[in-house]
Amino acid sequence: MKSLLAALAMTTALTLPAIAMARPVTLTTTLTNYGGDGAYLALYVTDPTGAYAGSLWMAGGKSKYYKHMTDWYRATGGDPAQVDGITGASVGAGRTLDITLDLADALFDAGYTLHIDGAVENMRESPNEVAVPLTTAGAGIPVTGRRYVADFTYDM
Amino acid sequence: MRKTLTLLVASTALSAGLGLPAWSAPRAPATEDSRPFAALFASDQDTTALFLVSGDDDDDRGSRNASRSDDDEDDDEEDDDCEDGGCNSAGNPAPAGSVAPPQNGLFGTGAPPKVQVN
Repeated sequence: MKSLLAALAMTTALTLPAIAMARPVTLTTTLTNYGGDGAYLALYVTDPTGAYAGSLWMAGGKSKYYKHMTDWYRATGGDPAQVDGITGASVGAGRTLDITLDLADALFDAGYTLHIDGAVENMRESPNEVAVPLTTAGAGIPVTGRRYVADFTYDM
Repeated sequence: MRKTLTLLVASTALSAGLGLPAWSAPRAPATEDSRPFAALFASDQDTTALFLVSGDDDDDRGSRNASRSDDDEDDDEEDDDCEDGGCNSAGNPAPAGSVAPPQNGLFGTGAPPKVQVN
């Protein structure tokens, strides 16, 4: 009986971390009033070495425009499969995009960086519009973009 | 007998406990490890389609202006046709909610994202 209890305790201890490996994270992106069409935005993550780790969201559904998000395109070759199931409409000037994702805990405080590339039709491309390290301490702190993004925040 | 049973239960529980995370872990980097050929194949197809469509649009605008004054409208019509589904699977990604997020190791579960634009 004692052995059984010990085994059960051990399996519980092993299973719990597996369940608690993710958390809901809200990414809030507010655009400036840049006076153009809807902006295409690519939100993606690089690992501690700076290599592309994966995409979190793509605002804009037509892949023929993805080449204008130059850093993301260079990393992915514009492969639409990278953003299957995480693609929505482009975002209008002055609007706020709220995305809630279930993100792996391993992304935080481990050297990962979230990037945003932006592009607007007939306007300048804006690679690396935002680059923010993913840390628990940085949650809720707004980061200003370079051209189209007024501010970006992630909350957990 | 009791000891054997205890050992069996313990080993099964241990396997389950270790197996769950181990089963989850390979799913995370699946795009890099177990699907290189599929990814490569898909990438090639999509890239080709992307460049052809985009290149034609750009080139046609300059070269056909003399014979067709409404090239831009034609381009838009082609885009709309693609959106209706004809070439959606070849070039454009699946919208959120229609399929699970990619298994790139960034997402904890297959839960669909929630999105709102204000």
